[in-house]
Amino acid sequence: MEPKKITIDPVTRVEGHGKVTIKIDENGKVSDAYLHVVEFRGFEKFIQGHPYWEVPIIVQRLCGICPVSHHLAAAKAIDQLVGIDPENLSSTATKLRKLLHYGQVFQSHALHFFYLASPDLLFGINAPVEKRNIVAVATENKELAKKGILMRKFGQEIITSLSGKKIHGTLAVPGGVHKAFTPKQLEYFLDGKQIPNIDTMISWSKEVIDFMKSFHLENREWVDNFAAYPSNHLGLVDKVSGALELYDGRIRSIDSKGKELLNIEDIEYRNHFKEGVEAWSYLKFPYMTKYGREKGWNRVGPLARLNTCTHIPTPLAEIERQQFKAYTKNKPNNMTMHTHWARLIELLHCAENIKELLLDEDIMGNDLVRKGTPRNKGIGVIEAPRGTLIHEYHIDNKGLITKCNLIVSTTFNNEAINQGVRSVSQSTLNGKPKITEPMLNQIEMAIRAYDPCLSCATHALGQMPLIVQLEDNHGNLLDEKTR
Amino acid sequence: MKKLDNNTLFIGIGNNTRQDDGLGWCFLDELEKKGFNTNNLIYKYQLMVEDADLISNYETVFFIDASKNNLEQGFSISELTPSKEVNFSTHAVPPNQILHLCETVYDKNPKSYTLEIQGYNWNIEIGLSKLAKLNLNKALTYVCKNIPKLS
Repeated sequence: MEPKKITIDPVTRVEGHGKVTIKIDENGKVSDAYLHVVEFRGFEKFIQGHPYWEVPIIVQRLCGICPVSHHLAAAKAIDQLVGIDPENLSSTATKLRKLLHYGQVFQSHALHFFYLASPDLLFGINAPVEKRNIVAVATENKELAKKGILMRKFGQEIITSLSGKKIHGTLAVPGGVHKAFTPKQLEYFLDGKQIPNIDTMISWSKEVIDFMKSFHLENREWVDNFAAYPSNHLGLVDKVSGALELYDGRIRSIDSKGKELLNIEDIEYRNHFKEGVEAWSYLKFPYMTKYGREKGWNRVGPLARLNTCTHIPTPLAEIERQQFKAYTKNKPNNMTMHTHWARLIELLHCAENIKELLLDEDIMGNDLVRKGTPRNKGIGVIEAPRGTLIHEYHIDNKGLITKCNLIVSTTFNNEAINQGVRSVSQSTLNGKPKITEPMLNQIEMAIRAYDPCLSCATHALGQMPLIVQLEDNHGNLLDEKTR
Repeated sequence: MKKLDNNTLFIGIGNNTRQDDGLGWCFLDELEKKGFNTNNLIYKYQLMVEDADLISNYETVFFIDASKNNLEQGFSISELTPSKEVNFSTHAVPPNQILHLCETVYDKNPKSYTLEIQGYNWNIEIGLSKLAKLNLNKALTYVCKNIPKLS
């Protein structure tokens, strides 16, 4: 058999576009497989020279899906430039930012589950391509689709109420926030008259977890084994209790068996991480310096967070976490498809947190902004929907940005996604004479489990094409299709 | 203040920091200046799946966007039919697929139009090109004159 290279470009139903290359040797076996990201990277450069206070507004334009995450990570870094550490922010500002953050994670997790993952789960890997989409989900299960739309809408409305816009709004300013919540806004989310209220969101979140658990029971072998491989796991945890923490905490990493590899203050990240590069991708490969490029990479995101935390500080999500952990006898879970399950537990956690914050009078307080002694460096770390997100900025004496470094969740997951692509390629493509649509979809599913945001990861500009390429081992183009 | 019938919605799609890509938003700005009800003017970077819920509440919907195509009048208006196409991702859903989702999930089929306005420059800069402004005015005149017929 003539050796050849098969390229899937782009991967569909992920945010932004990537390209998967599978190299097949003379014997028809997979010799290598990888996801390469070919979008232009530019944000870290063109932010230089801008005044620091513009940063939380500008960098959120990295992404139309998780702008709030970039807004808040940047804001946490910029707080330090005006001399405010997270513990010195006012209680009102902290809670409003958290409410914004939970609204963002809630809508993002709902979007991923209902619109990206559910077609795979409902219709299976052998379903025709015209069926693996939300319209088909809506046709077959109208109520599920409607709930998905309304859950996504609820999170978006939380964002709008706090930042003025669903996409690219502004809440955070250096040292705090520029506005508080109003009683009228509160009523909107509690009374259920115009949109289903927060109690309904909690109830629906539990329903989708039950759906996922039933799906797991019926498809245990596939869910447990698909693209599964051991890895380290990284996430923020509460500074005192070690609980799941999405806004501000310590960076903790464990290995695939549960041994702690790292437990550091977030602002120390530079002393513990490096970023590797490959010629075939703009996406970097972060790793823990102490353990080296080969052994020091981590998964981040919902699965990693549930592996690294000691518990979840909201009651209903904690019950679900305990069931989730019981399945692996409290050992770390390395089953990639369980990321969907973990994501839904976080969905419930966010809904519970949103309710708690909505019922907290502090969100209508008036202590909004604080100032301290200015500094020339700030580092903001949060848990974005897809995983740990780091923003670092340096300024000169005029307050202009001189240096910027961003490590986004999908970059952290780069090696993990590549591992998944290799794992699935080897199990599905070896020795097969023909590349079928279900086979290619399985590779995409392995990537989608991480909900990668490739435009974030490369800070893309411009349009991205829709091309499928087939090349031989000499790089000769055998076939090309545009979607 | 002149107000729209509450059953008509205008959705401007685009990005005003990319020159003529801001045409959809500028169209809404002009409608606001003319006294249209701002509650019925929605600004979007891109359409998302939850917009199926939004449009289900209206009888008539206009989607206004910039176009790279050569349009004879500088703009083009056409009535939409729901599309069963499947080539969408979640970060940009075409109007005809939003309409299809609305029909499928909510059993509603608002009368819908796309209004394309031809643009020319797409760099990172705020402000429309001169030609784009001319096209914007033509489109505005046409739509304002014909709203009763279109709704």
